Amino acid sequence: MTGRWPGKLATQAVLLANAVLVLAPMVIMALSAFKSTREIFQNPFGLPVVWRLENFSRVWVEARFALYFRNSVVVTLASLLIILVFGAMAGYALGRVRFAGNDALYLYFLSGLMLPIRLGIIPLFILMRNLRLLDTPWALILTYAASGLPSAVFILTGFFRALPADLDSAARIDGAGEWLIFRGVMLPLVRPALVIVAIYNLIPIWNDFFFPLVFIQSDRLKTLPLGMTAFFGQYYTDWALLFAGLTLAAVPVIALYVLLSQHFIRGLTAGAVKG
Amino acid sequence: MRRRWLVGLVVLLLVATLYPASARGQGAVRLTFWSWRTEDKWAYDRMIRVFEQRNPGIRVEFVPFRQTEYNTILSSALTAGRGPDIIHLRAYGGLETFAAPGFIEPLTFEQVPELRTFSRQMLEGARGRKDGKLYGVPFASQTIVIYYNKKLFAQAGVGVPKSWDEFLAVAKTLKDKGILPFANGGKEGWTLEVMSGAILPNFYGGTTFFDAVMAGHTSFKDPAYTGALARMLELRPYLHPNFMGVDYATMQQLFLNEQAAMFIGGSWEIGFFKAQNRNLEFDVFAAPPPKAGQVPWVSSFNDGNYGVNAKTAYKDAAIKFIRFTATREFGQMFTDLLAQMSAVPGVVIKDPVLKHVQEMNRKATPYIMLVGFRWQAPTGSTLLQSALQAMMAGQKTPEQVGDEVTRGLSAWFEPFRGR
Amino acid sequence: MPGSNRSAGDSAAGRAEVAPPAPRSTPSRRRPPLSLRATRRLWLIVFLAPATALFAIFVTYPILSALAFSLYAWEGIGRRGFVGLANFARLFATFPYSQLLGNAFWHNVLVFGVTMVVQNGAALALALLLARSPRGAKIYRVIFFLPVTLSLVIVGFLWALFLNPVFGIVNRLLAGAGLGAWARPWLGDPATALLTLTLINAWRWLGFPTIVFLAGINAVPEEYLEAGRIDGATEWQLTRHVIFPLLAPAVTIIVLLTFIGSFNWFELPYVVQGVSGGPNRSTDVLSLFFYRLAFGEVDTGLQDIGIGSAIAVLMFLVLVTVSALAAVLLRRREVELA
Repeated sequence: MTGRWPGKLATQAVLLANAVLVLAPMVIMALSAFKSTREIFQNPFGLPVVWRLENFSRVWVEARFALYFRNSVVVTLASLLIILVFGAMAGYALGRVRFAGNDALYLYFLSGLMLPIRLGIIPLFILMRNLRLLDTPWALILTYAASGLPSAVFILTGFFRALPADLDSAARIDGAGEWLIFRGVMLPLVRPALVIVAIYNLIPIWNDFFFPLVFIQSDRLKTLPLGMTAFFGQYYTDWALLFAGLTLAAVPVIALYVLLSQHFIRGLTAGAVKG
Repeated sequence: MRRRWLVGLVVLLLVATLYPASARGQGAVRLTFWSWRTEDKWAYDRMIRVFEQRNPGIRVEFVPFRQTEYNTILSSALTAGRGPDIIHLRAYGGLETFAAPGFIEPLTFEQVPELRTFSRQMLEGARGRKDGKLYGVPFASQTIVIYYNKKLFAQAGVGVPKSWDEFLAVAKTLKDKGILPFANGGKEGWTLEVMSGAILPNFYGGTTFFDAVMAGHTSFKDPAYTGALARMLELRPYLHPNFMGVDYATMQQLFLNEQAAMFIGGSWEIGFFKAQNRNLEFDVFAAPPPKAGQVPWVSSFNDGNYGVNAKTAYKDAAIKFIRFTATREFGQMFTDLLAQMSAVPGVVIKDPVLKHVQEMNRKATPYIMLVGFRWQAPTGSTLLQSALQAMMAGQKTPEQVGDEVTRGLSAWFEPFRGR
Repeated sequence: MPGSNRSAGDSAAGRAEVAPPAPRSTPSRRRPPLSLRATRRLWLIVFLAPATALFAIFVTYPILSALAFSLYAWEGIGRRGFVGLANFARLFATFPYSQLLGNAFWHNVLVFGVTMVVQNGAALALALLLARSPRGAKIYRVIFFLPVTLSLVIVGFLWALFLNPVFGIVNRLLAGAGLGAWARPWLGDPATALLTLTLINAWRWLGFPTIVFLAGINAVPEEYLEAGRIDGATEWQLTRHVIFPLLAPAVTIIVLLTFIGSFNWFELPYVVQGVSGGPNRSTDVLSLFFYRLAFGEVDTGLQDIGIGSAIAVLMFLVLVTVSALAAVLLRRREVELA
């Protein structure tokens, strides 16, 4: 046993070093948010001499943080809802029903996993205009939902397929209808997969700034990343404000993550083993 | 219970936010005016208020976008048949890209009589190359200059240099006194193109070379040009040791915080410098010529134009506004508020620094790539910016830069074919 | 369960009660009997139609239209006549496009390679350490994964500020440690810019492959390891001969995701270096090259949608080929496991 001590020590050293590497930039970011620009340049690593809160209040007001935050929440939740509902339905059909074209349809969805929809931004814009959806949250919600579906179909099809074959036949013999089998029997069993899909899509949708950039022109509809990039572009010489803005933009996701970290990690763990 | 509550919340949030955008106001015509000048919004709002007071039936909303995203947003909007009524457009090739496919309303002297008085040089930047028609009202002329910090110059005991050798001597003195001579950096290629716009013309011979290269009598492989490029390398020791990582924002900060004595940049900085640091004592000089006593060349260009969307529903109102931007009154406000040289003729310049810029313009030469070689991709600017970064990083010689630019341009500039 | 999941599942049920006819009445005796096959076919359509329609309209159609754009001549943003493969010919034959294409493609490959070795290599090492359940393993996992949740806009701005050659902390830190000679314009030097960006990217993503590998290792049955230990195998032998082979599925996933990520790389170089992929195209990648031609350089604004779309087609081909291969591979593995 004693021979293992050096090994354990080395393990701890490596893990600790990496933890510092991960956390230090974020800690410095947060500390800098309380300093003045001059102090950031002169004393970048230490604690702030005076903890200044006005950087945050300026960002809050001048960057219209609350508004952008709410817009991001609405767009993200609505997109996830569509992805989960439609993705589960399609995954169920592809994973449990043998029909001609099953493989082809599955591959078709899979192709969406590899292709950046950004390649089609100009036609997509024209489409949104024709549907009169430009400058509405729906332009974003539909784009995110459609581009999130492939991952949902991919993950959920795998999960549905892995469920025991006699489950639905048993239910069917009991006289249950298709919807009931799906909703009552199958869906609860793939709940972990739904978590994975939600988390898998949550982060890119929440963080996206490309589509709002093109689709949204009204300030009151801007999402957080777009609002923040505009803010960063405007105050690029004021580092104190920049750090405060960065911190404020990072806090919601970090808070959610700290609260639900086990779900985040468990979801991804299950996804990787399953996938 | 908790589930229902959550669903309810989501639905509520959705419904609350999905109300259609506010309907267009009845009565007044509402024009939108898109621009990339985020930092000038306050000034435009004030100038627009003057217009609205004169024209009670028309309201104008100034909507600026970030410069880096402006083209994306504008081109997607115009492709889709939308976009603003009034468009802040670039000049020369940057205008052509929107004008040639018919997205911009051509203007006539009858519609905007004020345009007759504009200088030919300014109007060149508002003309479509294909059809020769005018597509906008030029708004400003910009000049590439060298800013200097008067206090730091005095501290180091140096004055404004009269020749290139003096220029280098001044830089050396500053460096020896522990002052960073130049704020300039190379992380953003366009700031190097600006630097070349200041340094090169005196060595390649200004407009004579410009005319020769435009006519195809020579190319950028000309020793006159590559020799001028080599002069830029002579400034390298006087830039920040890690200047290749210095971006535009850092350049501005270095000069504003009085950490660097000189800043090679455009006349558009004057207003910004003044607004950011009221105590900064600065002035400008033209990049020095080879020998003392020669009058130096400065690069200048039409910065852009105000144009009208060909698909606007309010053409008359939009043209009325465009006319307003061509008046002496607008030009004067523009110059006074933003400390930039309005394109409108007859504007009186009060700002002492801007006055110097105006004086230098007596011997102005076109800012070569922007005026002459931005008509098709790959543009001269694009090619030059990348090549300059390589040159300043020590990866390419001036001759290689000249080669690369000439070769790249030959894709669409006939006279360079086979050179 | 996370709240978002609950609400999603629940509203699916809520909608179902209103939208389709009550499922129990499907094999109804009163109505003329639909054959079981027809009913199931109808249900199949109900299940598949929404997702397929949404995906087809808002993903497939725009991408295919954009690809069709590559066959037309363009004047600024105006579409002109059909020109066949002329845009491709121009892309391959015209300087500097031909060189820029190779340059950008090579950078995608480099990013993939460096990410595989540095990021995924480090992730594997960390996962192996974490799998031994050292003290604090849980907290370490949470910490390591944290940056993955951050927006690339935030990560990009943050590191650009840190790496600023004049005011940033990185060069200062080096100077403080007596390594002042190592200070350099990390993002401005063509020799280091791409590597620096790739490392920033690795900083952001490291936690992801770590967790995936850890899951793969934890899935190795304990009996295998016990049996090995009884046979007197060293930890390294166990890792090499028991854990690595069983880690193959996780590795496949990570390689595939790293590939897709590397070939779609856009946000980070865009936020940190701008659309030009500077300095001197040293951080140019295919997505940036495409974006630049389709939407124009920042200060010139000149676009060449024809060539831009041709690049999109090439990216499309690379990604489709690899994704098809990967799909076949994954399918085969699933069959093997089943």
